[in-house]
Amino acid sequence: MSARTYRDTDVVDFVIVGSGAAGGVVARQLAQAGHSVVVMEQGPRVWPGGLEHDEMKHWYLGGITNDPVKNPQTFRDDPSKKALQTKLKPALWYGRAVGGASLHYTANYWRFHEIDFNERSVLGEIPGTGFADWPITYADLEKYYTQVEWEIGVSGLANASPFDPPRSKPYPMPPLPVKSSGVIMERGARKLGLHPIPSPMAINSVPYRGRPACVHCGFCHGFACEVLAKASSLTTVIPEAEATGRCEVRSESYVHRIDVNKQGRVTGVAFFDRLKRERFQHARAVVVSANGAETPRLLLMSANAQFPQGLANSSGLVGKYLMFNYNSRALAVFDHPLNEYKSVQVTRIVHDFYNSDPKRGFYGGGGMDARMGPQPATWAIRTATADGPKWGSELKAQLQEFTHQMHIAGHTTSLAMESNNVTLDPELKDAWGLPAIRTTYKDHPDDLATAKFLQDRGVEILEAAGAKRAWRAPITPSTLSVHLLGTCRMGNDPKSSVIDKFHRSHDVPNLFLCDGSSLVTSGRGQPTMTIQALAFRAGEHIAEFAKRGEI
Amino acid sequence: MESDSLSRRSLLQAIAATLGAAALPWADIVEAAGQAHAHAAAQAGRAKVTFLTAAEAADVEAVAAQIVPTDDTPGAREAGVITFIDRAMATFLSQLAADYRAHLAVFQASCRVQHPGTTFASLSSEQQIAFLKTVDRTPFFESTRLLTMLGMFTAPSYGGNRDGIGWKLLGFEANHMFQPPFGYYDRDYPGFTLDAGPTK
Repeated sequence: MSARTYRDTDVVDFVIVGSGAAGGVVARQLAQAGHSVVVMEQGPRVWPGGLEHDEMKHWYLGGITNDPVKNPQTFRDDPSKKALQTKLKPALWYGRAVGGASLHYTANYWRFHEIDFNERSVLGEIPGTGFADWPITYADLEKYYTQVEWEIGVSGLANASPFDPPRSKPYPMPPLPVKSSGVIMERGARKLGLHPIPSPMAINSVPYRGRPACVHCGFCHGFACEVLAKASSLTTVIPEAEATGRCEVRSESYVHRIDVNKQGRVTGVAFFDRLKRERFQHARAVVVSANGAETPRLLLMSANAQFPQGLANSSGLVGKYLMFNYNSRALAVFDHPLNEYKSVQVTRIVHDFYNSDPKRGFYGGGGMDARMGPQPATWAIRTATADGPKWGSELKAQLQEFTHQMHIAGHTTSLAMESNNVTLDPELKDAWGLPAIRTTYKDHPDDLATAKFLQDRGVEILEAAGAKRAWRAPITPSTLSVHLLGTCRMGNDPKSSVIDKFHRSHDVPNLFLCDGSSLVTSGRGQPTMTIQALAFRAGEHIAEFAKRGEI
Repeated sequence: MESDSLSRRSLLQAIAATLGAAALPWADIVEAAGQAHAHAAAQAGRAKVTFLTAAEAADVEAVAAQIVPTDDTPGAREAGVITFIDRAMATFLSQLAADYRAHLAVFQASCRVQHPGTTFASLSSEQQIAFLKTVDRTPFFESTRLLTMLGMFTAPSYGGNRDGIGWKLLGFEANHMFQPPFGYYDRDYPGFTLDAGPTK
């Protein structure tokens, strides 16, 4: 329960739009710094203990995510085409409940490396892309990565990887127990001279900060953790924010417009409450942490006479540079059972191919991990559709390999391109009458080349480990993602970025944006750790600005 | 019931969507689709289905039974996939229902062109397999395969996966708690060491 409630007419210090990985952290930072805070969340507040292992509900019926019926979206791969509605799943898929995507993520918690922040300077321009350096470095973020590991709770083994960036503290918990896929990856990779390491996960391997250790139920991916071993904003930072007595988390409150006064300053947010009544919450400042799809959408929906292109959009870049992180799959079947459906997704990773290498002939690098993939039905769908028509006894035989299969995922860089973006659909409306999200996305050829490169390395590892049979899932163009990155990027130049290095929008002094949209480069596939480190840093700086009267 | 009436527009859309998938006589198919639907409507109410007509349900079930056939272990038929599909189209996946029915009509019409005077469900298994090979890239087949997988492997409360037949086929145990070792390969794992393997 919220420890404190505010009236709409109260002028609170901060409204935070979104209660996910970023919004939860920012709320806690600001509330602990003494500010009054209202967190607005589109979705309901669900108690994890009441959740169930219901794959239909969570993967196909918008259980705790955006629902393709109530929150419809359209997708196209080319701006000259009309975008079509995606009927079974949204193109941009995110958590829509208190806790956001931190409820249903896999909880892989790699830090970005130094190179992710300055790669443009190291490699030079890539024509036709918005490839750029960040305005901050890894060193600027290191202490906040450490804060995530200790305050959210990450299990792992420090200094195991020769490729890891420097760190100031070890992990607070040892790694989770290895799975058969992890042993296989470790064995195969070492035979090839590579450096497999235990995967850092935001999942408790031992009881930590009042939450129990993992019970290995196997339902991390797409589900909220019912025993609270997997960290989420709902079970970590949000209760801490509420415990200050200054923070209200208002669920089923759908912000659809940010208003500004004549001075061009934000005055608060218009929202629909659970009864679809339109209300307005006054605030001295607004932080939007609604994710890389909803943050740009909200800014675009907030266009007015003063800001006709949308709020904070003088650069024209709100919604642009959308990045997904491609992931390819190298699959294998083994003689003995692995039972990968048990326990967490990932226990071993390989970062030997993290950096881009010009000798490969294309830009890109990635991280690889060993995993099962999704739960039974989605796994079966992938098996049936992996390469052309598959049905009958051939399909049935492959389905019966369930307990003997695994795959190595190759998570890639995605190049920032203006033509990959989030806009408002000109026709389709959601159940509240608001314009639907329209996604335009086509993988850069180098992203797909990187995916293929990592897939080939994955097959080599699986074969070196003694796979009975190893194969490649087709690399098809991206049409759906849960990694929603880059759509309000940070930078020093207001012409080529939306927010400054402290997450303040260049155009509106009391409007801050902090979530996956802030990223300048995509990293190598596991963005939440970095999104939360940015949120800890943003929260700290915004509180200092407030203290100094600089908002 | 409005959901029983196939609009010409959605049929034509469905046909357009399948164009290029197989070279078939489209004019005949449009004609046959109309007849097939009239026949199906006449059969309505005979089976315990709410969205599909009895004849539609028979064809869909026959297709599902070819996707996951019954041999020495149960298949889609025993798992009650047809109950899942009918319930999904009537309720929880109703946003897909209009397209699905239109695609089904095209499928039935194509089948009647190949096998006049009968239905897919009435063909021999060999005939069914031969026909499916010509249409296994169409929207109807792909949707039915997707729905068959969902009906086999999601929770029995949705109408399929009867008695956990699908999960047994996979070897999946629906427990809320497991302990290591999880599989054969992590059983005797000696522990992670930094110097356990060769380095470059």
